[in-house]
Amino acid sequence: MTKAELTAHITTTFSGQVTVIENTQPEPYFIVKPEDLVAFARFIHDDSALQLTFLMNLAGADTGERYEVVYNVCSYQLKHRIFFKIQLPHDNPEFDTVIQVWPGANWFEREVWELFGMTVRNHPNLTRFLLEDDWNEGFPLRKGWTGTDFIPLPDRG
Amino acid sequence: MAEELRTEDMTMNMGPQHPSTHGVCRLVLTLDGEVIKDCQPVIGFLHRSIEKMCENRTYAQCIPLMDRFEYCTSMSCNWAFCLAAEKLSDIKVPERGEYLRVIMGELNRIASHLIFVGVTPMDCGALTPFLYTFRERERIMDLFEMTCGQRLTYNYIRIGGVAKDIPPEFIPKCREFLDIFEEKIRDYEKLLVDNPIWIARNKGVGIITPQLVYDYCISGPSARASGVNFDIRKNDPYSIYDRFDFDIPLGTGGDCYDRFNVRVNEMRQSARIVAQALDHLPDGEIRVKVPLKFKPNPGEVYSRRENSRGEMGVYLVSDGSTKPFRIRARGGSFSHLQAVPHIVKGLKIADLVAIFASMDIIMPEIDR
Repeated sequence: MTKAELTAHITTTFSGQVTVIENTQPEPYFIVKPEDLVAFARFIHDDSALQLTFLMNLAGADTGERYEVVYNVCSYQLKHRIFFKIQLPHDNPEFDTVIQVWPGANWFEREVWELFGMTVRNHPNLTRFLLEDDWNEGFPLRKGWTGTDFIPLPDRG
Repeated sequence: MAEELRTEDMTMNMGPQHPSTHGVCRLVLTLDGEVIKDCQPVIGFLHRSIEKMCENRTYAQCIPLMDRFEYCTSMSCNWAFCLAAEKLSDIKVPERGEYLRVIMGELNRIASHLIFVGVTPMDCGALTPFLYTFRERERIMDLFEMTCGQRLTYNYIRIGGVAKDIPPEFIPKCREFLDIFEEKIRDYEKLLVDNPIWIARNKGVGIITPQLVYDYCISGPSARASGVNFDIRKNDPYSIYDRFDFDIPLGTGGDCYDRFNVRVNEMRQSARIVAQALDHLPDGEIRVKVPLKFKPNPGEVYSRRENSRGEMGVYLVSDGSTKPFRIRARGGSFSHLQAVPHIVKGLKIADLVAIFASMDIIMPEIDR
């Protein structure tokens, strides 16, 4: 499906609320409410016209005002792709796991928890795996983080 | 005689410094005799915080860091990062630059698969193919060295094109390599593909079903060995891949044997692409001028490339300044290692070594 068809299909068929982000990229981009996340993931994975079975990437981001979790998904069968994200407040960021939809999301979510400090609800194994086991210097990918040997380089722009 | 002997599960560490784990990976195995009941990968030994370091550097300074993301195919990592930056700022790479990228990218894929074809039999106990494949890999390394001066971390593909033009002796040397290469591939096949010991170790071992491919987001040759026809060069063509005539080798069984054969056949297809690119290599500019203080347009982008290990993707957020706001680099192995515990359950330790090798898992792109 083309970008316009994908956008129309998802906004009309999905029961929850999705916001479309206008951009010039070839993929449609949506904002999904955090409470609709699992329902949305289940819908795009199972819908026969979408079949978005391949979770290409799952990344956390700190925009400064809020946290975001970005999902880039693709279809093995139909080859089209969509991107969507959820937005979370800075205090007490929590979102639901999508492991029951894409089991491969496990480590991606663990990484978001470890490096951003966002809690993943219902995740079976939220333990450290990239940083040291006794790491106690906070969450390095948050903006404004400073560690003992981290020196921000000057912006040469 | 007691009727029932008391048995007990044994927990064993495989690694971190095990020679078959290709980097530093620890597998905690729960064993019943020699049968694996559970396998828990422990990663993070090679974590260098590449993503955090990129946020602190200009775009040009990020490219050498991406080399270290996955050092067997550095060209691909440079390329994926540059693709993302170019997508954000609508930079059009000149024709000659695109052709040089394809030539280098495919030669790098061959070099990476040559490591695989040499190292996988070595993990299974056959040392000879390693010596053969590294002889051919040396020729590719020489080609890279004469072009960009480096043999492992190239920093060659830049935003807007490539760093340097190829020297005049590159094309004859490269053609010479392509001419002998088909015969060399047949040598590797003679050593292994019909070898009864090789078949006994690999055929029917470590089957990845298409369902497991979908569940665990397996991509690249490991997915295609299971019959999942998915190659980004065909399905979502980037650069100029739509101009070349090449096939996608597919397997049927999804076992270690098929994964090996798919990669061997992929080397043939990559050699075909390089030959076509050399035939049609145009003259002209190799790079568009990009300012030193390169500032892409603000926005988010996800670029993907077919790497030798699966999908290599870069999620890039720019806020319009000289430094990337956020980078998440995705390598195929990150997903593949998650699937290993599900493949090895009920198999023996020796099979785990063969499976780990056949999926071509490399640790730096997992730990980043």
